[in-house]
Amino acid sequence: MVVDMDRCTGCQACVVACQAENNIPINTETIFLQRRVIEWIWVERYWEGEYPHVRARYIPLLCQQCDNAPCEPVCPVYATYHNDQGLNVQVYNRCVGTRYCANNCPYHARFFNFWQPVWPETLRHHLNPDVTVRWRGIMEKCTFCIQRIRRVQREAARDGRTLQDGDITPACAQACPTDALVFGDILDPQSRVAQLAKNKRAYKVIEDLGTGPNVIYLKKVDPYAPAADHDHKH
Amino acid sequence: MGITRRDLLKLAGVGALGAIAFNGCRIPDRELRVESPVALPEDQVTGRDNWYATLCVQCGAGCGVLARVVEGRARKIEGNPDHPLNEGKTCARGQAAVQALYHPDRLLSPLLHGQAVDWETAMAELAGQIQQNRGRVLLATNPLRGHNALVAQTFIQSIGGTLLAYEPLEDTVLRTAVKGLFGQDTLPDYDIARARTVFSFGAGWLETWGSPVRWGRAYGAFRQGRPGQRGLFFHAEPRFSLTAANADLWLPVRPGMEGVLALAVAYVLVERGMAHPPAAAQLTGGQGLGALTAYQPERVAAAVGIPAERIREVAEVFGSQRPSLALVGGSALAHTNGLFNARAVLSLNALVDNIGREGGIRFNPPPPAGWTGVPPAPFARWRQALEEMRAGRVGLLIVRGANLIYGLPVDRGEVEEALTQVPFRVVIGPIADDMAPYGDLVLPELEALEAWGTDWPEPGPGYQTVTFQQPVVRPFRDGKAFGDILLEAGKAAGLTLPWQSMREAVQDGARRLFALRRGAVRAADEEGFFMGVLQRGGWWDPQATGQGRFTGERLPATPPAPQFAGDAQEFPFHLVPFTPLGIHDGRGAHLPWLQGLPDGTTTVAWQTWVEVNPDTARRLGLLEGEWVEVISPRGSLRALVYVHPAIPPEVVAIPVGFGHQGMGRWANGRGANVFSILAPLTDQETGAFAWAATRVRLRRTGQRQRIPKFEGVVRPVQLEERPIILVTKEA
Ligand code: SF4
Ligand code: SF4
Repeated sequence: MVVDMDRCTGCQACVVACQAENNIPINTETIFLQRRVIEWIWVERYWEGEYPHVRARYIPLLCQQCDNAPCEPVCPVYATYHNDQGLNVQVYNRCVGTRYCANNCPYHARFFNFWQPVWPETLRHHLNPDVTVRWRGIMEKCTFCIQRIRRVQREAARDGRTLQDGDITPACAQACPTDALVFGDILDPQSRVAQLAKNKRAYKVIEDLGTGPNVIYLKKVDPYAPAADHDHKH
Repeated sequence: MGITRRDLLKLAGVGALGAIAFNGCRIPDRELRVESPVALPEDQVTGRDNWYATLCVQCGAGCGVLARVVEGRARKIEGNPDHPLNEGKTCARGQAAVQALYHPDRLLSPLLHGQAVDWETAMAELAGQIQQNRGRVLLATNPLRGHNALVAQTFIQSIGGTLLAYEPLEDTVLRTAVKGLFGQDTLPDYDIARARTVFSFGAGWLETWGSPVRWGRAYGAFRQGRPGQRGLFFHAEPRFSLTAANADLWLPVRPGMEGVLALAVAYVLVERGMAHPPAAAQLTGGQGLGALTAYQPERVAAAVGIPAERIREVAEVFGSQRPSLALVGGSALAHTNGLFNARAVLSLNALVDNIGREGGIRFNPPPPAGWTGVPPAPFARWRQALEEMRAGRVGLLIVRGANLIYGLPVDRGEVEEALTQVPFRVVIGPIADDMAPYGDLVLPELEALEAWGTDWPEPGPGYQTVTFQQPVVRPFRDGKAFGDILLEAGKAAGLTLPWQSMREAVQDGARRLFALRRGAVRAADEEGFFMGVLQRGGWWDPQATGQGRFTGERLPATPPAPQFAGDAQEFPFHLVPFTPLGIHDGRGAHLPWLQGLPDGTTTVAWQTWVEVNPDTARRLGLLEGEWVEVISPRGSLRALVYVHPAIPPEVVAIPVGFGHQGMGRWANGRGANVFSILAPLTDQETGAFAWAATRVRLRRTGQRQRIPKFEGVVRPVQLEERPIILVTKEA
């Protein structure tokens, strides 16, 4: 996935689209107060500078689907593993809730169900039947909407069609009004993500840790950035 | 699905799902493959999903959406990629339509004087009231378009009465300005994607204002859609909103001074010879710069709160990096001089000659014949309506989506007194809101995903567009659509109305479009056409564009000064109310996804907060999470302090939309209603509610709690030595 930070406005359409697609438990006020909010994709806002030269910077963060995922080797029960498409996947019914993976994820992309998720009876009707509802004690995180990937693959196989760039869209990218989020096959040099990855603004978040993240960010452009502020970022 | 544990083990045994099996010293790769549970047989869904095109009503923009329906339930909303307004995208609010549909507190049956009754009884009562009150009906609704508007108007015409639309943050000022300057009855579109410079004044176009998904899309293209050319964006607003946060430069203009700032820019354009000559002549009455002396940047800088050099710098870019575009909305118009601000800003567009051009203002044509709209009535008109109720001139009040008791800046008692003078009151809605207790008859309305309708988005995409709304699921609750209630009751009361039901009205609309024989949907016959527009989600004709001309007149030699409620000594802060990202003006307060959506700048959720500048907070000894009393000349409320690094010291800001009495478990009693402390000032010329013209003071309560916010939930990864957000100066 590519995230263009110069397009992203921080509008959080992606956040709610993900909650809807992936049956994410309702983040109640109590959960906010406990700081146990679950958002597989979330928008972080950082303040910089002081009034009136103040900036708010937004970054949508999600599981970076690392090649060398630090969360994987620490799971005692192999609940988190790497699949053959390079996705870092969570097997919910194997998870025993040690939370080692969450401790080891430098992006803090893993969320733990501290409580039994509660949906009032009627709201269960909108749950996505393609996605497991997680239980108390289970770790969860972004799957790149694996159910949408599988569905498209299945349908393509049924119709005898090969997958095209743009056929698969996770819910976040589907909603994103600004097209800040682009999903595709980085190994296909023709794909949009492969093209965007060549952009001179491209970087990966805390890549120096050796995690091999698979989300590529494009730098925010700020022509009026205060000089000092801008220098230390380079 | 009928897969038992034993089957599962059998499947596992044949390798469809491999547990880790140790095999001597080497493990075959195949065996190491474990599958995600979403591909486990027990999690596979065999049911088919169906996608239906329909309309989003979560805000007034009117995006076209697709609803995913599995096993008879609506599961997910996505943008309709065919729809010209939002081109496949949605905002956060649009997604929440499924929560509105399955809300646990939806009304289960009609209530007559608080007692549950069946629909037959309820409709008989309503029909009886209609019969008795011919000529004395007031139908109060939210702003309507399409067939809801048409049916409501037809109903009111045949019975004799008044139809008034209500919206707490009405757009009367903008409409009046557009009409006055361009001779247009419809709101214009802005070609942001192709502009090089955008200068907005108070318009939260990346959040809730206007057509946010459409303009969000345009924003992406404006920034990064043209290789080698990145659009520049300036934003003037007294509050640091999400839109301000995305601007290259934010200008914290003093409240009410937006128009003067715009004309200071105009001054520079004329002075530097960058202004389009005919427009400059029109606006200065042929006198050139001399007519604008009152707006010279050096002269107005202090009053406007922006240094003269900055005004000149921004004006230079605006004048030279064309096409450039000026937008106005939000709090800039919510002042006693709102119309002046609107005219001043919109006139900038004529000065940079963008009217009707690429990268400029694009006009929308009127909708096709047969489509109509009911825009919100100004606050002054509502005052008069309260007066009419109090004087006993209204015999039957029918309220739908007009939360008068919640949003009017009039004391509750006064509204209550007016309402109680009406002998019979009907409240229509899917959920019991603040108005429901005043309903002698309360009628459960269907949710949008269960009902028929049409809409024409306003502002539209620059050409005629009609969106069709169809029921995507069977009604989840025993309700009736708003239009059907009017049609059925009207009929029973002996009115002659052209349609039996909303479905029939909508189909009749399709017939009219079919007869035009133009546009994006073509078919051999009417039936085929109707199916076509339902499948496609609507009808549009890119050839049917709108035209407008700048007819602006000479600008006032001295600007009208904004008036504020509250003495500056006693009430030192300007109060800027704003619509938060999630719950909007309160219409989304009942939906947990929207309450739980972290605010765009503060990340607060679920509570009413007040944004206070760090210096102000230090001076008053306020800390984050402290409950303060915010006191205006009209009243007071309690809110949690959020120390906001980007709010000007003389301003405090509070989100609207909280503090409902009713609207279900997630809204009822939650937070405070900022409308309750706003003074009833109006724009001098239009009578629109000047909701940003109240001053307040803060009083400590000494109580403090943790503030529910997203910030800090995830341990910050953006550290001084290891930034995660990288910034570059050049595109
Ligand atoms: S939807 Fe797109 S623009 Fe909005 S916050 Fe998410 S990534 Fe950013
Ligand atoms: S902008 Fe309005 S109409 Fe469009 S998706 Fe959002 S809530 Fe719905």
